[in-house]
Amino acid sequence: MALSSRTLEPADRIYFMLAALIGGVLLVYFALVPFLGGNIAFHFYLMLWITMASAFNVAAGFAGYLPFGYVAFYGVGAFTTAILVKKAAVPIFLALPLAGVAGLVLALLFAPTLRLSGIYFGIVNLALAGVCRLTITNLPDWLTGGSFGLQLGSRAEPVHSFYVMMAVMVAALATILWLARSRLGKALRATRDDPDAADMMGVNVPRIRLYGWLISAAFPAICGGVEAWYTNVVDTETAFNTLTTAKTVIYAVAGGLGTVTGPVVGAVAMVWLDELIWRRFPLLNLLILGVATVALVLFLPRGIVGTLLRRKPQWRRYVP
Amino acid sequence: MGLLILNGLANGLIVGGIYALVGVSLTLLYGVLRVVNFAHGEFVIAGSFLAFALFSGLGVPPLLALPVAAIAFFAAGWALYYVLIPRLALSDDPELMSFLMFYGVSIAAAALMLLLFGADSRSIDDTFSPVSVPLGPIYVSTARLVALGITAVLSLALAWFLFRTLPGKALRAAIMNREAIQIMGVDIVRLSAFAFALATALAGVTGVLIALVFPAFNPFSGAEYTIIAFIVVVLGGLGNPMGALLAGVIYGLAEQMATVFLPQAMAQIVGFAILIGTIFFRPSGILGTRSRR
Amino acid sequence: MNVAIETRALAKRFGGLVALDGVDLKVAAGETLGIIGVNGAGKTTLMNCICGLYRPDAGDVFVAGEQVTGQPPHVVAHRGVGRTFQVPRVFRKMSLIDNLLVPVLDRRASDAELIGRAEAMLERMRLIELRHNHAEELSGGQQKLLEMARMLMPDPSIILLDEPFAGVHPLLCKFMIDRIEEMARAGKAVLLISHDLTSIYRLSARVVALNQGRIIAEGGVDAIRDNPAVIEAYLGM
Repeated sequence: MALSSRTLEPADRIYFMLAALIGGVLLVYFALVPFLGGNIAFHFYLMLWITMASAFNVAAGFAGYLPFGYVAFYGVGAFTTAILVKKAAVPIFLALPLAGVAGLVLALLFAPTLRLSGIYFGIVNLALAGVCRLTITNLPDWLTGGSFGLQLGSRAEPVHSFYVMMAVMVAALATILWLARSRLGKALRATRDDPDAADMMGVNVPRIRLYGWLISAAFPAICGGVEAWYTNVVDTETAFNTLTTAKTVIYAVAGGLGTVTGPVVGAVAMVWLDELIWRRFPLLNLLILGVATVALVLFLPRGIVGTLLRRKPQWRRYVP
Repeated sequence: MGLLILNGLANGLIVGGIYALVGVSLTLLYGVLRVVNFAHGEFVIAGSFLAFALFSGLGVPPLLALPVAAIAFFAAGWALYYVLIPRLALSDDPELMSFLMFYGVSIAAAALMLLLFGADSRSIDDTFSPVSVPLGPIYVSTARLVALGITAVLSLALAWFLFRTLPGKALRAAIMNREAIQIMGVDIVRLSAFAFALATALAGVTGVLIALVFPAFNPFSGAEYTIIAFIVVVLGGLGNPMGALLAGVIYGLAEQMATVFLPQAMAQIVGFAILIGTIFFRPSGILGTRSRR
Repeated sequence: MNVAIETRALAKRFGGLVALDGVDLKVAAGETLGIIGVNGAGKTTLMNCICGLYRPDAGDVFVAGEQVTGQPPHVVAHRGVGRTFQVPRVFRKMSLIDNLLVPVLDRRASDAELIGRAEAMLERMRLIELRHNHAEELSGGQQKLLEMARMLMPDPSIILLDEPFAGVHPLLCKFMIDRIEEMARAGKAVLLISHDLTSIYRLSARVVALNQGRIIAEGGVDAIRDNPAVIEAYLGM
């Protein structure tokens, strides 16, 4: 109905059918996990990483920034949720959106760094994440719980937080599917490929970048909040763990930046692999993660989906 | 207060020397190869662990571990270059992808040290006699003074190498213009491998010195030194070895003075503030004239 | 004369290097003004100052009588200034269609309408078969055509062409010259930079010669060709 203004080309139809198919399979699969007695923890974190990698993709794949301090949004979201729930008795369903708002505020504070590019941006972002961690560490203990962390004490049903995580994932994927087809998405890609040329073609580069940056920041902040609710505890060591950034980046790159499906495929493949390795060789887990990253950059720099589309360029129009 | 400041100055100089070495090796690597070694801190700490293993296993004192580390790390760097870099050069954006690849190397290196040595903080209990030396009104530990001396000698040797020898001049030429030097008939692959090996060797040696100067280290200390290396490199100007040496000393002094005047946590933020401020207001570094890329 | 674009005493320096030193220009609608000069004469700097990429140190730029000096490039673009680049700057990892959509993203027209226009434009530039390819997969000459198509999408009234024929196959040159003539006939003001005199002589009745940031000669094609200062600048150094 809404689409009638423009007749869908066959390629577009396949694109949307594929998107609906992948989305539908994900939706049904995850929705059934608690009913069929699946491993809730594993699937909770799988959805979390799909969301994180997809949101990271907006910054890295669409806007062309590599935020190596991406965990800052996650950590600030986690602490915002915990403090609101524990200290201000805010109900969790209000606290989570507010965590997203905290992510947006942080993104606005970081906005001046968007005029940097390449490694400068990456290094500064890393440093800013350090500043965030130190700032929260130095807040008074009555507020943040100090080195013991904050117990939310909300006695959350794991199933509730599971479905909330699922809703967040669906929202993230829908946003990125929209972005990939939208005018904002095209403008973002143009600024990524050549910011000066995009500017001279009439694109308001700083504003477009800010929009992409905000989208990319909101979801990890909410993820941090949901995870805090799920585990019931928040402390600076885990909330600002650099491994969170590492995993997000690696999963997104493994799937392929710049496509909607890339980070989903990457997260599913890598989380599953991670679980497999972790169960067999718990001690080697970290080592293998590191070696896998190196191998990925050397042998599959465009990721799974990216490499596929490189081999079959004619599929680009069909694959979301 | 006066004593505290004097202490801060002395410590700043010692720590700054270490930071200078950490930074100069990273900046050499970036300058010649245009790769960003995110694993630099882990390389450094691996040097500390080598000294620790030699000392606790074979009773080799840290000073003798220095040449061992230099040789071992030079060889390791040479090998690592041929495993990692030629293939990396094939990717779309090698500079940015190198950042990501060394991210993986840093995780793997930290994990390897964790497997070999455990998560506990380690230290080397080798003591010099006397334990400390009076320096005017203050006392400075002998180990630290020895480290300062070695740092100074290494820096001078490096400067001499870069400005007075042919391979050193080739390295500086490669930093200025990678393309031109190839036309001049220099084998850029060999030169790059040499730069990688040299930088890794410097990192290893610095690690041994860190075991002398700082009370303890663990497999995850690497990340701190990576950040410090970035601060020093940016402050000195990307790819500027002399700038990095100077910046290391300046940063060491700034950090140690900050611990005198500011609470511990604020002192840590000073480093980040220097890094961010430099990139925004003086992106070419304290000595640099190159514009931001 | 209906002045579409004008610069007054435009000056720009980079450190100690004077790139532009008081340049006064006027281009009328429907006119093609040629700008010649050796490398480093200030041609591209002039273009970058007009379109807002550089902020001039002194002087002003007027588009259709309104001052745009110091405005960011996207604002100048919205006043109807389009340009191409000496080395093509296409959006490498976007399809040709998407490349063409970038300058019209904030138009009210529906997606379908814009895509239709983009396809018609690609047809005109003989690129329609490649419309779903990524721009980086095109040859250098094709990228020049793509840039020209992208520039024309928002229907600009002022067109800045920076060395459009550099490194382009002679047959393609002929095709591009025809397109540029069409633009001028459609009433657009064209500013054409080239250090190759023959192509400029084909397109421009009036030519400006730049040397070391200054206008050293201005006038008809033949007058410029015989001007001693131009000959000196071209051959004397």
